[in-house]
Amino acid sequence: VSDTAGVAFAGIDDVRSRLAEQEYLCDRRVATVVFLATAIGKPVLVEGPAGVGKTELAKAVAAALDRKLIRLQCYEGLDESKALYEWEYAKQLLYTQVLREKIGELIGPARDLRAAAAALRDQEDIFFSDAFLVERPILQAIRAEKPPVLLLDEIDRADEEFEAFLLEFLSDYQVSIPEIGTVTATHTPLVVLTSNRSRELSEATKRRCLHLQLEYPGAELELEIVRLKAPGAGEALARDLVATIQRIRGLDLRKAPSVGETLDWAQALVVLGARSLSRELIEETLSVVIKYDGDAAKVRQALAADGEPAGHAHPHSHSH
Amino acid sequence: VERVVLEFVRLLRRHRVPVSPAEGLDALAALQRTGLGDREVVRAALRATLIKRGEDGAAFDRLFELYFGLGDEARPRPDRPPPHVHHNGASPTELRFGEDLEGDPLGEEGHSHDDPSPIDLRRFLEEDELRPGSDLHGEPERLRLSVFGSQLMLSRSQDALEQAMKRMTHQIRVRRARSFSPGSVAPESGAEQLPVDLTDSEFADLVEELRAAGVDEALVQAITAGADDILAALPGLLRSLMERQARMRAAAAREAPAASLSLQRMLERSPGDQRELELAIRRLGRRLHGARTRRMRRARTGRVDVARTLRANLGYEGVPFEPVLRRRRDQRPRLVVLLDVSLSTRNLARFWLQLVFELQSHFSRVRTFAFVADLVEITPLLEAQGLAGGVETLFAGDLIDVDENSDFGRAAEQMRTGHLGAITRRTTVVVLGDGRNNGRPPNVGALEEIARHARRVLWMTPEPRWGWQLGSCDMARYEPACDAVEVVRTAADLGAFAERVLAAGSVAR
Repeated sequence: VSDTAGVAFAGIDDVRSRLAEQEYLCDRRVATVVFLATAIGKPVLVEGPAGVGKTELAKAVAAALDRKLIRLQCYEGLDESKALYEWEYAKQLLYTQVLREKIGELIGPARDLRAAAAALRDQEDIFFSDAFLVERPILQAIRAEKPPVLLLDEIDRADEEFEAFLLEFLSDYQVSIPEIGTVTATHTPLVVLTSNRSRELSEATKRRCLHLQLEYPGAELELEIVRLKAPGAGEALARDLVATIQRIRGLDLRKAPSVGETLDWAQALVVLGARSLSRELIEETLSVVIKYDGDAAKVRQALAADGEPAGHAHPHSHSH
Repeated sequence: VERVVLEFVRLLRRHRVPVSPAEGLDALAALQRTGLGDREVVRAALRATLIKRGEDGAAFDRLFELYFGLGDEARPRPDRPPPHVHHNGASPTELRFGEDLEGDPLGEEGHSHDDPSPIDLRRFLEEDELRPGSDLHGEPERLRLSVFGSQLMLSRSQDALEQAMKRMTHQIRVRRARSFSPGSVAPESGAEQLPVDLTDSEFADLVEELRAAGVDEALVQAITAGADDILAALPGLLRSLMERQARMRAAAAREAPAASLSLQRMLERSPGDQRELELAIRRLGRRLHGARTRRMRRARTGRVDVARTLRANLGYEGVPFEPVLRRRRDQRPRLVVLLDVSLSTRNLARFWLQLVFELQSHFSRVRTFAFVADLVEITPLLEAQGLAGGVETLFAGDLIDVDENSDFGRAAEQMRTGHLGAITRRTTVVVLGDGRNNGRPPNVGALEEIARHARRVLWMTPEPRWGWQLGSCDMARYEPACDAVEVVRTAADLGAFAERVLAAGSVAR
C-alpha cells in the first residue's frame, strides 16, 4: 500500500485540488472515494449514465498521480488473450524452424537418445518464457515498474465469464498463467472500472470494489466546469447555458446531454459569438446536445412552455 | 470506530441491504483513514464501501440520517461542529443514546439476555414497536413500557411472565409532562430533568412482581443488575424514542420497498407506486440480463481458430495437423407463455408480460397465448400494439370473452390440437393461472401431452398452496404434469420465477 510514496494523495482535499489541477472538478464525495481507493488499495467501480465523466476521472487521477494510464476497453467476447496475455505463436514457430537446423549443435555430442531428450528438456521452457509472451493490459499493469492506473472501461459490455475471470485480479492483484504460474503485482495498481449499467454486474465483482455512483453534476459544479473548460464563454452565457442544460436533463429524454456535450455547446456558442442564450439560438444549435428527433421535439416543447430560456428566470443571473 | 461500523452494518442488514463481512472490513479500513470528523466524508466512505446497488442508496441515506443524525436536528449547537460522530466515542451513556435507535438484530436474541449489560435496553426499542399505531402513539398521555414487556415475553415466552407483564404495564407509567413533545426536548445536559418519574421504588416493585410471577431467577437478576443503567438511560431513551417516532411517522409512507409488496396490493396503490413497481421489474430484468455470451467454444464443426490451431500443432512444426474449430453457441430457450386472463389472475398476468418483455432478448422466440376458456395467440397483437396497447385490447374482451369462468381443460385441449407445433424440445412452457376450472373436467391428459413435447413446463400461480384444497381448484392434479409449480405473490417472487425460467434454458445444452 505504501508504494504510492512521493506522489500519493495526502488527503481528501489534496485529491480535490490535484484533480482540479488536471482540470477535473469533483465534489468531496468523489474525492473521498478516490482517496480511499489509493489509501486502502481497492479497485473502484464507477457507475453512472453515459457522459458524466467516468473515464475522465480515471484519466485525471492518473495524471494527478503522475502514473501511467493503461486502458482496456471492454466489449462482448473479450477474453484473456486480449485482456491478459497471449503467446506469440508466430515467433515461437519461427524459432522452432530456426532451431531445427541448429539442434545438432545445441544438443552436442549426446551419447544416446535419453541424454538428447534430457538436454532438450532443459531448454524447452524457453518457448514459454517472457520472450514469447505478449503482455495485454492487465498483465502490463501487474508487471509495471511503477504502479500504474488501470482503467477497465465499460466493464458491463464484457461477458459474465470475463467478469468472473477478473475476480482473482481484483481481490489479490494477481493472475494465474498456466504455463508460468501465478504472477503477483509488485506494486498495487489503482484499478478503475467503469460501467454504464447496461446490465447489472455480479455481486462478487461489486463486493471487491469501492462503489462510486456518478451523476450529472449539479448546476454550480457544472458552471465551474464550463468556466474552466470553455473560458471563452462569458459569464452570462455560461449561466444561461448551464441552466438550460440542467432543465433539459430534467426532461424524460432518450439520451440526456452529457457534460462533454455541454462543453461542445459552449464552444459552439463561443464560435458563434453569442453573449447570452436566446430562443432562436437554442433552436439553431440544439443539435449539438440533442441527438434524437424525438428528444429535440420534447425539448422545444418544454422550453416553449417555459416561455423563456431557463437561464433568464434564474434569480442569480446577474448577481455576480 | 469498530463499533460504529459493526452496528451500522447490522442495521443495514436488518433493512435488507446485503453487506458482506469483507465489505464491513473495507468500511472499517476506510473510516480509519478518513477519521470520523467530517460527516459528509463518513457518509461517502461508508457508501462507497457498503452500498453497491443503486436501489439501496435510498435506504442507506435514510439509515445514515437515523444512525448518525440523532438529535442533531433537534438541538443545533454551533459550538460543537459535527457532534454526532464524536459523540459516539465520548462516553458510554451517550453512546447508548446515540446508537440504540434501531437496536440489535432480532436474530440474536439468545445470548444477551443472560448477561446484564446495559445494552440490553436497546432491544426494547425495536423498530417495529415504534411504528405509528403502537400504543405509544395511540395514548399520548401515558407512555407505557409495553414495548419493554413484550420484548421480555418474546425472549422467554412464558405464560406466567406474560401475566406479570400485563399487570406491570399498567403499573409502571411514565407520565408525560405538558412540555414534553418531540419538537422541544429538554436540554441535553439534564437527562435527569426530564419529567419522567419512574423511581427506584417502582422499579423494585416491578422486580418483586416478576419474581412473584415465577419468572426465571437469572432474568430477574439481570434486570436488577441493570437497574441503574436502565433508570439512568430511560429518559434518554424516551427522548430518542419520541424524536424517532416523529420521524418514523413521516417516513412510514415511503417505507416499504416495492419488490416485497404484494402485487395485488401494489395495484391498488397510486399510479406513482405502480411506476415504482414497474421500475423494480425493469431492474429485475436488468439483473437477470447478463451479457449474452458471444464466446466461441470448441466444436467439431465451425471456423478454424488460427491461434489455437498453431498452438496445438507446435509439435508438428506448426503444420496444422489437428485444426481447432470453434463455433458460437446460441442456447437461448424458446418460450411459450400461456396466460389465464380471467379476473383472478389478470394483475399477475400483466406483470408477467412486462417481465417477459424486459427479458425478450434472452429467448430466441417468445409466443404468448391468452385464455379464459378459449385460447388465442396474442403474440401478433403484442407486436402490433406494444405491451400496453396489447394488454388493453386483450382485457377489453374483443378477442376472447374475458368475463367467462376460466376453463383450463378446454384451453389445454385447444393448445394441443391447434398449437402443438409451437412447442419443441427447446421450448419452455410457462403457464400462469390459478388452476380453477369451476367444476369442468381438468383434462390433465392434454397438459401431459404438452409437457411431453416441451423441454419444461413451469406453472405459476398466485394462490398459496393451502388454497388449492379449497373450492374447485385442480392445481393439485396439474402439478405432477409440470416440472415445477411456483407460488408467485410479490415482485420478488416474480423475479425468482423468471430466474428459474432462464436457468431452464441454459441447463440442457
